[in-house]
Amino acid sequence: MPTPNRILEGVRIVSFTTGYAGPYAARLLAQYGAEVIKVESHPGGLDTFRHYGQGNNVNAAPRFIECNLAIRSMTVNIKHDDGKRIIKELAAKSNAVLVNFRPQVLGRLGLGDDELRKANPSIIILKLPGLGETGPKNWYGTWGFNLNAFSGMTYLWNHPGQDRPVGSQGVYPDHLGFISGPTIMMAALLRQRLTGKGSIIDVSQGEVTAYTLGVSYLESAINGVDPEPRGNQSLTAAPHGCYRCQGDERWCVVSVTSDEEWRRLCGVMGNEALAHDPRFATCIERRRNSQELDAVMSEWLATQTVEDVAHRLQALGVAAGVVQNGTDLCQDPQLRHRDYFQNYDASPIGPFEVPRGGILFKDQPEEDIPLTPDLGAHTEQIMRDVLGYDDDAIAKWKGEGVLV
Amino acid sequence: MSGEALLSGFRVLDLGTAMGAFCGKVLADLGMDVVKVEPPSGDDLRAEPPFAKGHSNREGSLRFAYFNAGKRGITLDLSRGSGRKLLLDLVEKADVVIDSHDPGYLDDLGIGYGEMVARRPKLVLVSISGFGQDGPYRDYRAPDLVTNAMGGLLFISGDPSLTPCVPPGGQSYVYTSIYSAFGTLLALWQREDKGLGAHIDASVQASMALHEHVAFTWSSEGRLMKRAGSQHQHVAPANLFPCKDGWISFFATQRHWPIFLDMWEGHPAELDDPELLDNGKRRAAADWLNPMVASFTSRFGKEELSVLLQKHGLPALPVNTPRDFMEDPHIVERGFFGTVSHPVLGEFPQPGVPFLLDGERRGPRPAPMLGQHNGEILGGDLGLSEADLGVLAAEGVI
Repeated sequence: MPTPNRILEGVRIVSFTTGYAGPYAARLLAQYGAEVIKVESHPGGLDTFRHYGQGNNVNAAPRFIECNLAIRSMTVNIKHDDGKRIIKELAAKSNAVLVNFRPQVLGRLGLGDDELRKANPSIIILKLPGLGETGPKNWYGTWGFNLNAFSGMTYLWNHPGQDRPVGSQGVYPDHLGFISGPTIMMAALLRQRLTGKGSIIDVSQGEVTAYTLGVSYLESAINGVDPEPRGNQSLTAAPHGCYRCQGDERWCVVSVTSDEEWRRLCGVMGNEALAHDPRFATCIERRRNSQELDAVMSEWLATQTVEDVAHRLQALGVAAGVVQNGTDLCQDPQLRHRDYFQNYDASPIGPFEVPRGGILFKDQPEEDIPLTPDLGAHTEQIMRDVLGYDDDAIAKWKGEGVLV
Repeated sequence: MSGEALLSGFRVLDLGTAMGAFCGKVLADLGMDVVKVEPPSGDDLRAEPPFAKGHSNREGSLRFAYFNAGKRGITLDLSRGSGRKLLLDLVEKADVVIDSHDPGYLDDLGIGYGEMVARRPKLVLVSISGFGQDGPYRDYRAPDLVTNAMGGLLFISGDPSLTPCVPPGGQSYVYTSIYSAFGTLLALWQREDKGLGAHIDASVQASMALHEHVAFTWSSEGRLMKRAGSQHQHVAPANLFPCKDGWISFFATQRHWPIFLDMWEGHPAELDDPELLDNGKRRAAADWLNPMVASFTSRFGKEELSVLLQKHGLPALPVNTPRDFMEDPHIVERGFFGTVSHPVLGEFPQPGVPFLLDGERRGPRPAPMLGQHNGEILGGDLGLSEADLGVLAAEGVI
């Protein structure tokens, strides 16, 4: 069976992306074989993640490397007329353009939808801005962190009854953007292949985040009351929570939905009396007495080692798990079994490992994912092999500040 | 609101449980014909709260209503031979099957990948599970709380003085389902290109373990990410700040910081320290810097302040409740919510697809009632007569 890493061989995508969501979206397509040409220019038009690295080395920023594996890197000054011409010629030979700049940035440079469509009538232009291309707040500057708040995710991501919202330190909307973007791109590529039609697609990262919270909006709209944060509470399971174990910041989650599981849990606890305690006999009773139940669970798990107890519970069919940190993930035997980590022995940031992704194609073994290239590593090759220019033309444009 | 579908012409059979239901929704929203296959007693999600007020029955679950929106629905008892035979008849006409039962469940019933492919070569089967179709944790129970824990997102989520806090709405299932939709489309591309089917093994744990650089930060820097409340790990001020009527999410990097100080008349003099231009230095100063920022933000309303900051080019948005978001003029003008009409739940607003195609949005559609499309699919597609359907119903197969 063929390797999945070449599924998209022959698909060419021009990538104008910066930060987390856009580049990672492009990486996921490149990882499956698309020729993703990331266009940047030095010094004024670099991906912002290149600046979060070691000193001034634009090739040694860890998170840039993580988000840009497998792509090709080309430097073109798109403020220069000849730079624009090169991009249009590239668009004419590509399936798609992926962009997560603010709305209208490419348009103001003379590389808007109309110009790109003129160069290639069946092109796909997929945009991934924060709040979308249209609407009264389309000009807002946003990070995933802000979009989390806007959608209601931050408000809902909290323990009940707190006096302030918490949400996340992270940028969950970027994650939703970088998986939704390639999904929608793939649908557009199939449509292009089957019907010859191009498309202009405006994916709002804020809406992608809200798309996952539909149930909460339905609750608000149909029942007339905004849902409150539920934290680790469940509407169906008890016990259902996260409990401290022995050690520094070691936690165990447990989720019990059936009475049979509860009895097995009591067995692991070695507490026969608890299994017969009427306060906890049925799920309804356990939920009703959940505070007392949590106290029992907390007391017991505080004496346990999480690596041991979570696996003992799972072995008996009780849903439990280690609250894994970065070290745990890197050593996780299940992830190792899936050959989850791509290892690089050498790179501008030294050796490292990085997650490959959430899916496997069974019986289709994966190849290594190429390491992120240095800035501009593919400029000459693309000019020559894709656009057909000779060395003289390339040298001339380098001298004139076009291919930088 | 009647925007065109992006990708029509594909048939999906959706055997997804709660874990995989959102995958079928995504494919339906992209334009595929997705048929939800439920047991005659109804999908488990139908029994899951929250319910619409006054409808705590099998049509009233809001999770079922949202996760299955846009699908057609049939009932089939897969524990019976006649149900399994009908399923394989349907597989013969499908491009994709989504399954999220426990690994091995369909194989044990004699309707696994092998049997399906025998009837429908080039089929794409998408198997979604907590940890994967094989490996040491294959049979682990995998509710959303467990997969968030084992995937690493829970460890870094929440206020450090409290217990780690899981994200809302079953995010690990939703996220993995979107990832699985991506895999489905990759497999369909491979089928068009090379004439091959595929069996995709999606893992919720693996889909979550790539989040927020948790594993990568350890492997590349030897640094362990920990809970930090709403404080971003590299930048400050990048946090939630109090306003007169709620909270605002404000995120100022190096280039935003001087602009912010400029617009903040009478800011404390220590903030002018040129050292603080550096992201890392400001992050290290977050403990005393954030309260100063809070003294500024608390003079304003959250919406008022977000507009003011944005006008200066500073990234800020209010902390909205779901209702706030639904009523935001930007969301209203972009038509994110459309109205669906459901025979039991009535008319209500629901998100459409999260993108505009050539400037138009495809609006939302309702979830199927239990067995709603038995006639048109089992009768229409498989050619069963009214009498056949009557017998199947009497036997409890549909």
